[in-house]
Amino acid sequence: MMKTPLFRTILSRDKADTLLLIFACAFVLLPHADHVMWWVNASCALLLTWRGWLTLSGRRLPHAMLLLPVAILMMACVFLTHRTFFGREAGVTMLVLLLTCKLLEMHAKRDLFVVIFLGFFILLTSFFYQQTILAAVLTLTGLCLLLTAQLSFHYTGVVPPLRQRLKFGATILGLAIPLTIIAFVLFPRIQGPLWGLPGDAHSARSGLSSSMSPGNISDLAQSEEIAFRVKFTQEIPAKPLLYWRGIVMDKFDGRSWSHEDRRSLYRNAEERDWISYTGQPVDQEITLEASGQNWLFALDMPASKPEIEGSSASSIIINQQMETRREQSTQERIKYQIASYPGYSLEANSSREMQAHSLHLPAGYNPRTTAFAASLRQQYQDDLQLVRAVLDYFRREAYSYTLDPPLLGTNSADEFLFDTKAGFCEHYASAFVLLMRAANIPARVVAGYQGGELNSIDGFLEIRQSNAHAWAEVWLEGKGWIRVDPTAAVAPERVERSLNYAVPRQGLAGLMNLSPDGISFFNQMRMQWSAVNNSWNQWVLNYNQSKQISLLNSLGFKKIDWAQITLLFFILTSLVLGLMALPLIRNRPRLSALDKVYFSFCRKMEKKTAARALHEGPSAYLERLRTSLPAADFENAERFLKLYASARYGKNPGPDNILIRRLKTLLAACR
Amino acid sequence: MFTSIKKKLRKIVFLESKPESGEVFLSQRRVFTVPSKPGLVFVVLLLMMFLAATNYSLNLGFGLTYVLGGIAVINVFYAFRNLAYLHLLPGSARSVFAGEETEFTVYLINRRAHARYAISVGFADKGHPEKFVDIAADSRIAVQLSYPTISRGLQAIPRIRLQTYFPLGLLRAWSTWLADAHALVYPQPEVNAPPLPMSGQGKKAEVPGHAGDEDFAGVRAYQPGDAMKHLAWKQIAKVDTALGGQLVTKQFSGGSGSDVMLDFSALPGNMDIELKLSRMTSWVLEADQRELTYGFRLGQTKYPAASGPEHRDACLRALALYDM
Repeated sequence: MMKTPLFRTILSRDKADTLLLIFACAFVLLPHADHVMWWVNASCALLLTWRGWLTLSGRRLPHAMLLLPVAILMMACVFLTHRTFFGREAGVTMLVLLLTCKLLEMHAKRDLFVVIFLGFFILLTSFFYQQTILAAVLTLTGLCLLLTAQLSFHYTGVVPPLRQRLKFGATILGLAIPLTIIAFVLFPRIQGPLWGLPGDAHSARSGLSSSMSPGNISDLAQSEEIAFRVKFTQEIPAKPLLYWRGIVMDKFDGRSWSHEDRRSLYRNAEERDWISYTGQPVDQEITLEASGQNWLFALDMPASKPEIEGSSASSIIINQQMETRREQSTQERIKYQIASYPGYSLEANSSREMQAHSLHLPAGYNPRTTAFAASLRQQYQDDLQLVRAVLDYFRREAYSYTLDPPLLGTNSADEFLFDTKAGFCEHYASAFVLLMRAANIPARVVAGYQGGELNSIDGFLEIRQSNAHAWAEVWLEGKGWIRVDPTAAVAPERVERSLNYAVPRQGLAGLMNLSPDGISFFNQMRMQWSAVNNSWNQWVLNYNQSKQISLLNSLGFKKIDWAQITLLFFILTSLVLGLMALPLIRNRPRLSALDKVYFSFCRKMEKKTAARALHEGPSAYLERLRTSLPAADFENAERFLKLYASARYGKNPGPDNILIRRLKTLLAACR
Repeated sequence: MFTSIKKKLRKIVFLESKPESGEVFLSQRRVFTVPSKPGLVFVVLLLMMFLAATNYSLNLGFGLTYVLGGIAVINVFYAFRNLAYLHLLPGSARSVFAGEETEFTVYLINRRAHARYAISVGFADKGHPEKFVDIAADSRIAVQLSYPTISRGLQAIPRIRLQTYFPLGLLRAWSTWLADAHALVYPQPEVNAPPLPMSGQGKKAEVPGHAGDEDFAGVRAYQPGDAMKHLAWKQIAKVDTALGGQLVTKQFSGGSGSDVMLDFSALPGNMDIELKLSRMTSWVLEADQRELTYGFRLGQTKYPAASGPEHRDACLRALALYDM
C-alpha cells in the first residue's frame, strides 16, 4: 500500500516528460501543416493524438508489427504523391512522418535523441518555405520547447517544476544567442549550391510572367507581397513617372499576349545606338525579391546594365525592346544598381517596315474592333491624333475600372470594348494595342509595375505585387516608341496614386479599412513593420560572403581572407565565452548578512590574536579568545559572539535588520 | 606492456595518482569532458544542417545551425559546473567479513549557489552499480557505495568515479578520486565451527562436543557470524524468510562462569593458517553472542578475558590484520 503513491509520482513524471516531448514535436511540425498534403496532416494529427492518449492512459506503445505496416503505407503514399523520396517536398514529408512514427517507437534513451535531433532538422526545413521574422520567432520557440524536453529527461532525482525547466531551457538558448550572432557574422561562408538543387527547390512564386492573358495581373493585384524595394539616391520622381519597365509583349495569339525573343535589327548591340537619352539620370538601388523569373525591373527607361553582386556583367542583357534580364532566374533576393532616364527616344530613326512585327494581328478575331479602328483611321490621318482620339474615347464612354471584370469570350477585345466596358489594366492595354495595330500603328504591351509606396521609416520605396501594371507603347514616325497608358485615361487615380486604392484590401488591413495614404496610427505601424522587415531582409537574409567581406572592410579590416576571418571568429568567440563562463563558474554561495558580519569579526580577531579554526563554533572560539585577548577587548568580543550565537541558533532572534545593526556596532567596538 | 603504458598515460592525462587523504576539491583541472555518443551524432547533425543551409542558401538555416552549436558549447559549461568545484569527503567504510560487501560512505559537499543534478557516483572499474544523486545548493549529501571484499585485511577503497550527462546528454563530464580510505575485512567465519574451547575453573575442561548439552535459553535474531548449528531451524521453518521473516538463533544459558580462552597456538599446527583464523573468528563471534568472557591470544597479541563489543572488535581486528 505504501508503494503506490511513490510509484504513481514516478510514473507521472515520466508521463509529464513524454507529454512535453509530444507537445514540442507537435509545435515543430505545425509550420509544415501549411504545405504538406492533407493526408499527411491528418495522419500526423491522428498518430500524435494516439501517442498522447497512450501516454496519458499509461498503455504500452504499439508493437513494431503494427507500426511497420502503417509506416510502409505512408511511405508508399509519399511515393505515389511525389514519385520520389528525394527532393524538397518529398523529403520534408518523409521527415515529418518519420518524426511522428518515431514518437510511437520510443524504447530507449537513444530514441529520445533521435526524436529530438529529427525535430531540430525539421525546424531547419521550415525555412525552405519562409524566412520571415515570424518564422524565426516560431523556430526559436520550438527550439526552446525541444531543449526543455531534452533536459527534462536527464534529471534522475528531483525534477524541478516545468516553469523552472522552461526557464533553464530558455537560459541555455539565450546564452547561445551571442555566439550565434558572432558565428552568423564571421563564420566563413561558402556560396551555395553545393550540389544540384532538386527541381522543386523553389516553389512557384508570384510575380509577373512573360505572358499575359486576362486575369493574370488582377490575380497578382490581390497580393500584398513585396515585389521589390527601391532606394533612390536623388529625389523620388513624381508618381506618374514611376513606370517600372519589365516585359515587352509583342505577340498576340487571339487571347493572350506573350513575350517574344527577337534578334536585334541593329548591329551594334553593345552600344545600344537605337536609343538616346535626354535629361538627368535617376539612380536606383533595387532589392528584388525572389521571383523565379529572369526579368529585372527598372524605371522607364533603363540606361545601363545593372550591377548585381556575384554575377558577371555579361550574364545580363538589355535588348532592343529595352527589357532587362539575367541569364539565370532569380531564386533569391538580389540587389542591383541601375540608372534610368525619364527622357528618351527609342528607335526614332527606324521605319514602319522595321516595326512590322508590331502590327501583326491574328486573322479572324475581334471583327468589331477592326472595324472601329478602320473608321477611326478614316477620321484621323495623323497617328498621334488617332491615339489621342482613342484615349478620349475611353475617357468619354462609360468605361469602368474593376478588379472583377466579367468573363470574356473568344473575341475578348470586342466584348470588352463594346459590351462589358469594364476591365482592369490588362484589358485596357490589350484592347488599346489591338486598336492601334488594326489602325496600322505599331504597338505593343509592356508589363511591369506602376507606382509604389514610400516607407517613411526607412525611406525605401516599396513596390508590391499589387502594383503590377500593363500599359501600351506605340511607335510614331520620327518619335519612336512612346508610352501610352490607356488605364490612366479611365482611372487616372490608378496611376497618380496607386493601385491599392482600387483593390479591396484583404485580411486585417481590409478589416480596418486602411487607406495607404492617410497617416493613421495603423498605417504608421504598417510602415514600421515593413521597415523592420526590410532591414531583416537586407541584413539577415541577404547576408552572404561578399557582404561579410564588405562589412569587415568597413570595420577597418582591409584585405581580409577567410583564414583571418576564421581567426577573428575564434578570438571573438573565446572572448565572449570567457565573459559568459565567469559568472557561471564563479558562482559561490551567497552568505547571509548575519554570517557576513560574523566572518568580518573573525577576520578582525585573526589579525589581533588567533584565527578561528574551521571546526570551531562561536562559543568554543570565545573560550579560546578568553585566554588570548586583553580583558577590555574580550568584553566586546564576548558580547558580539553571544549575540551572534543567539541570533544564529536561538529560538526567537528577532528581526534581522535590527540584530545586524546591533552586531555591526558591537563589531565596530571591538578594536 | 600495453596496459602499463595505458596506465601511465592515464596518470599523466587524468592525474590518476596516489591516494588522497582528507577533503578533496574537484578543481578545474580534475574535471574532464568528452562528447557522449549522442553528442557525436549531434556534431554530425550540425554538419548536415550546415550543408543543407549552404546548398539552399538558407540564412536562417545558418542561424539555426549556429544556435544549436552555441547550445552545445553552453552545455559544456553547464555539464562542467555540474561536477566541478565539488568537495569530496571520505566517510567510514563498514568493517565486514571477507566475502561480504563493505559499504563506503562518501560525502559530496556543494558549496556553490547552484544545485547539481544527476551526478552518478560509483567505482571506476567496470561492473559496479552507480548511484545517481542530486545535491542542492550549498549542502552536502552522503552516498553509500558497496564494494565486494574477498580476503581479510585492510582493503583499499578503489578509485571512485563521478560523472554526469546533465543537462542535455551531449557531453559526459567526469572526475575520479582515489580516497586514502580502507575497509577492515575480518576473516570469513568458519561455517559449522567446532564448539568453543571451554576451560572452566569450577567445572572440568569440557570436551568439545559437550557444549550442545547446555541449557536452551531461548532464541534471538540471527546475526552474521552465528554458527549454523545454533540456528533455530524449527522456528525458521515456520516463517518464510522471503516474506521478511528473520533467521533466529538459539541461545544457550549454560557455560556462564566458565572461562573461554581462544588461543591461536592451541589449534592444531598442521591446520591452514587462514582456516585457523576463520575458526578463531567464528569462536569470537559465538563467545560474543553468548556474552561470555573470553581471552584471546594470537601470536604477539594477547587480550585478557573480557567481553563486550570493544573487546570483540579488537579481537576481530587482530585476526584481520594477522601477519599482514
